[in-house]
Amino acid sequence: MAGLLAKERIIAAPGFNRWLVPPAALAIHLSIGMAYGFSVFWLPLSRAIGITQSAPDDWKISTLGVMYSLFFVFLGSSAAVFGRWVEREGPRKTGVVAAFCWGGGFFISALGVYIHQIWLLWIGSGVIGGCGLGLGYISPVSTLIKWFPDRRGMATGMAIMGFGGGAMIGSPLADILMRHYATPTSVGVWETFVTMGAIYLVAMLCGAFGYRVPPDGWRPAGWTPPAQRSAMITTRHVHVSRAWRTPQFWLLFTVLWMNVSAGIGVIGMASPMLQEVFGGKLIGAAGALKDLLGDQRAQVATIGAGFAALLSLFNIAGRIFWASMSDYLGRKPTYFVFFALGIVLYAFAPSAGRIGSVPLFAAVFCVIISMYGGGFATIPAYIADLFGTRFVGAIHGRVLLAWSAAGILGPTLVNKLREYQLAHGVPAAQAYNTTMYILVGLLVIGLVANLAVKPVAEEHYMTDAELEAERRLAHEAGAAR
Amino acid sequence: MSAPVGPTKPSSSSWVLVAVAWTLVGIPLAWGIYRTLRTAVKIF
Repeated sequence: MAGLLAKERIIAAPGFNRWLVPPAALAIHLSIGMAYGFSVFWLPLSRAIGITQSAPDDWKISTLGVMYSLFFVFLGSSAAVFGRWVEREGPRKTGVVAAFCWGGGFFISALGVYIHQIWLLWIGSGVIGGCGLGLGYISPVSTLIKWFPDRRGMATGMAIMGFGGGAMIGSPLADILMRHYATPTSVGVWETFVTMGAIYLVAMLCGAFGYRVPPDGWRPAGWTPPAQRSAMITTRHVHVSRAWRTPQFWLLFTVLWMNVSAGIGVIGMASPMLQEVFGGKLIGAAGALKDLLGDQRAQVATIGAGFAALLSLFNIAGRIFWASMSDYLGRKPTYFVFFALGIVLYAFAPSAGRIGSVPLFAAVFCVIISMYGGGFATIPAYIADLFGTRFVGAIHGRVLLAWSAAGILGPTLVNKLREYQLAHGVPAAQAYNTTMYILVGLLVIGLVANLAVKPVAEEHYMTDAELEAERRLAHEAGAAR
Repeated sequence: MSAPVGPTKPSSSSWVLVAVAWTLVGIPLAWGIYRTLRTAVKIF
């Protein structure tokens, strides 16, 4: 008898409703998406000993911030390393492992907070949790693409939207829990970690056990593959070990790297840019930000927080909108829009500031961020179109290393450029302009890479014999029932 | 290669399960979006 988690155990019976798979994927992505919201813990953790204010032995926020680097390095590397295992063992086993890594990471971190050992937080949430992020992120991709051959973009967009939305649920929930658990001797973080770890463990296990894979060759009722397919959509398959040797792999890697680097750069500076550029105008007062009084600055900061929240909404909306649009436009034209429109909007953003219109400025950044989210959500379908569906999860896992690379390039570029300009006497509000123009340069590289994408050469596709061997390896022989 | 599996329509009772599953993930997501919107309106 096949194990409870085995791939052959979760092949859908006739009559299974494919619309049950996206909520299962969402349960996992909404849980791991909390990675974006971890900064909600930094301030309370920076006074875990002092409680009301930081004590000398308390952790610094910069020390805690290492967690973000660990998240994204281990997300990318675990997705790349374990991608093939994910394809072989199927989404349920992957989802369960991801649940124990992510939920278990919270428990280890709780212990780390309780005995005040930062390395336990880094290992628990950063390394083990980071592996949970990578496995959880790619776990539904291949399955969703096989269930929705008619709407690949929309299907993966729904799941990846969840990753963008996870912090929207997790951050306020963490805030509520920390207030609930706070006592005169505890800031309430370790108790919150235990509670959230348990919630995420259960939610992700529910998602993992909700996964079903379609029988080989399944297609939706009433849908027949178009007789004349675009040359950019293959019906064949490239093996993951061969995919990264093709120019298409590196072109897609560059496309994602540049789109995400530029997006991360903008996310970090959008809210401070709004506050610096408009200053007192945001609250109907005269003067630049540096001239405002304490309470006026606080009001401007509140508006800045509102702007950041607005951007996060466009981030998740962009994921489902652009990924769904790509089903109609095609993947390559969709990325063309991201880069071409992105170049125009990034270049125009400083002018929008100079014009002095807050709504126009906000609208520019909302569209930019929607395309950042859209880039994440559209890439799995782009990979499936070019390399086939057989190894899409594993290849996606390797392409996600571009995300880790972007996590280094984007913020470094923005921060170093800003420091350099400020050191050379450029006014704070103007220092952003040059940065935006540099980010335009990244988008131009992405545009060129996307334009260079062509169908994969014939020699890279798997033969029927190779496919059959892979099916046997993936426990699929004789499994259809 | 195995032959394509004939398309089968989902059973009507499965749509109830679909509604339940989407509600379970939709409620927390809607709550998160509502909380974020409350913060976002401060810009207007």
